Amino acid sequence: MRNRALRIAIRILLIIIGIFFIFPLYWMLNMSFKSKEEFYVTPFALPKQWITDNYTNAFHSYNFLVYFKNSLIYTAGTLVLILFLGSMLAYCLSRMEWRFSKYALSYISLGLVIPVNVVMIPLFIMIIDLNIQNTYIGLIIPLFAFGLSACVLMLYAFFRSLPKELEEAACIDGCNVYQSYFRIILPIIKPAIATQCVLIFMNVWNEFPLSYILVTKEAYRPLTVGLANFFMEIGVTDWGLIGAAMILSSLPTMIVYASASEQIENALTAGAILK
Amino acid sequence: MTRFFSTNTSIFIFAFPALFIFTAFVVYPLFPELVISFQKHNGFSSQGFVGFENYNEIFSSKSFWKANTNTFIIVLLSTAVGLPISLLLAFLLDSQTNGTRRYFKAAGMLPAILSVTVIAQMWMAIYEPQWGLLNSLLRAIGLESLTQQWLTDRGIVIFSVAVAFLWQYIGLNTLLFYTGLKSIPKTYYEAALMDGAGPVKSALMITIPLLQEVIKFVLVISILGSMGMFAHVEVMTGGGPGYFSRTIVYELYYKAFMSSEFGVGSAVAVIYVLQCILITLVLNRFVAREKIEF
Repeated sequence: MRNRALRIAIRILLIIIGIFFIFPLYWMLNMSFKSKEEFYVTPFALPKQWITDNYTNAFHSYNFLVYFKNSLIYTAGTLVLILFLGSMLAYCLSRMEWRFSKYALSYISLGLVIPVNVVMIPLFIMIIDLNIQNTYIGLIIPLFAFGLSACVLMLYAFFRSLPKELEEAACIDGCNVYQSYFRIILPIIKPAIATQCVLIFMNVWNEFPLSYILVTKEAYRPLTVGLANFFMEIGVTDWGLIGAAMILSSLPTMIVYASASEQIENALTAGAILK
Repeated sequence: MTRFFSTNTSIFIFAFPALFIFTAFVVYPLFPELVISFQKHNGFSSQGFVGFENYNEIFSSKSFWKANTNTFIIVLLSTAVGLPISLLLAFLLDSQTNGTRRYFKAAGMLPAILSVTVIAQMWMAIYEPQWGLLNSLLRAIGLESLTQQWLTDRGIVIFSVAVAFLWQYIGLNTLLFYTGLKSIPKTYYEAALMDGAGPVKSALMITIPLLQEVIKFVLVISILGSMGMFAHVEVMTGGGPGYFSRTIVYELYYKAFMSSEFGVGSAVAVIYVLQCILITLVLNRFVAREKIEF
């Protein structure tokens, strides 16, 4: 009896907390469909008049498509680089005989201790000196460099769990190391790669500090920075417009989230278990 | 077999590109940063060495100490308040049905996948004194006296920003803890039950020690993450009012990119990275030292 009542009480608590997480988003959605006047009067209720003006205005003054394209380029570029080069490094460290393997592993772990924000300043100077500020490469390479550590460490753990027989079989079939790696080993670790894809996507798509500092030209801004700048330009007067811009900017992530939530959950929590 | 594969060329090709870029863009920049912290620098060229002047300037500046205190408050809140809440929620989640679990997981993950800008702006709207969600809610239930100027009151502003940050990650941390919880074999609990242990005791004596690795992992990312808080401050308050909601990274950014004092900014960065390294070392030394197996 008591157990059941307790369980129901906890359930209610969890539902309320869940609402606490969802409600702000719902509120913003609401806001973006209200006219300015109606918003100031009844901030909570559902809109009496569903206005799409905010969204049309947003399309005109908010460069959503440009930012979206840029975010896509940065994310895809970083993803490909990290997966390609990072997995090769992880493979080398875990399966090849190299005197410096252990040192290299600890070295890469440094990347987890050094947060991005620390080297913002010299990175800024470096990128300018190399003449790649405000180019796609100029942001992709630093993002790639900082995303390496987590990926290499996780793939390293995964590689180590593979049986040695795999390479032996490939060797007997006459493969050289490159063929065996790309044709046999890589396909086997697809789940780990999928996990990394999700993680890297989340990290780069929502990245703010580096993008903010390294990209100053409007045409190259990713979504996060574009939204922030839009907000600072419009000021706090037209919240409906801002709400619309925010919802638009969140749509891609929400769609990915809705369609792959279980994979996302697995990816996000994988780090905890593999330790 | 491995000998056959591990030719010098193949090792080079596999390992070098990643290691090179990593060194060039993550490790190497630390050195110019150290150097610049001893110079007067405007972002384009150095204007000569000034010894410890930059460091003296920071240590005697009120904004730096406020930034440090703020960062400390945020780290404290997210670990001493956020983590226990997440852990508790994970325990509670364990006792629920699949339906409730799925609902909570989905709801909890949502804040973590939104971009920082969206979250910062969302909370600005919530904190708006006139019609914001929070004050309106308080007025609606008759607690008008509790309404505040959440983002412009000097005493509260850092807590307001901290709550936005916490909101984003509590759900995710709960999920992480819950995943760790699930991996503990049920047999331990059954044995404890037979010995007469109640839920609290078994939680304390079995779950938490076995969760050590996960707790350490979450602790590390929580602390390092909250220490690096920058985006929320920049969008929500711009460090204001005045400098009262600056964090250490914001101070770094401000000194370098807004005051064009790259030397001072670099000095702040050096102090910041030393703090990070210190914390990582301390955590590694004192938390989850031995592997516990039953």
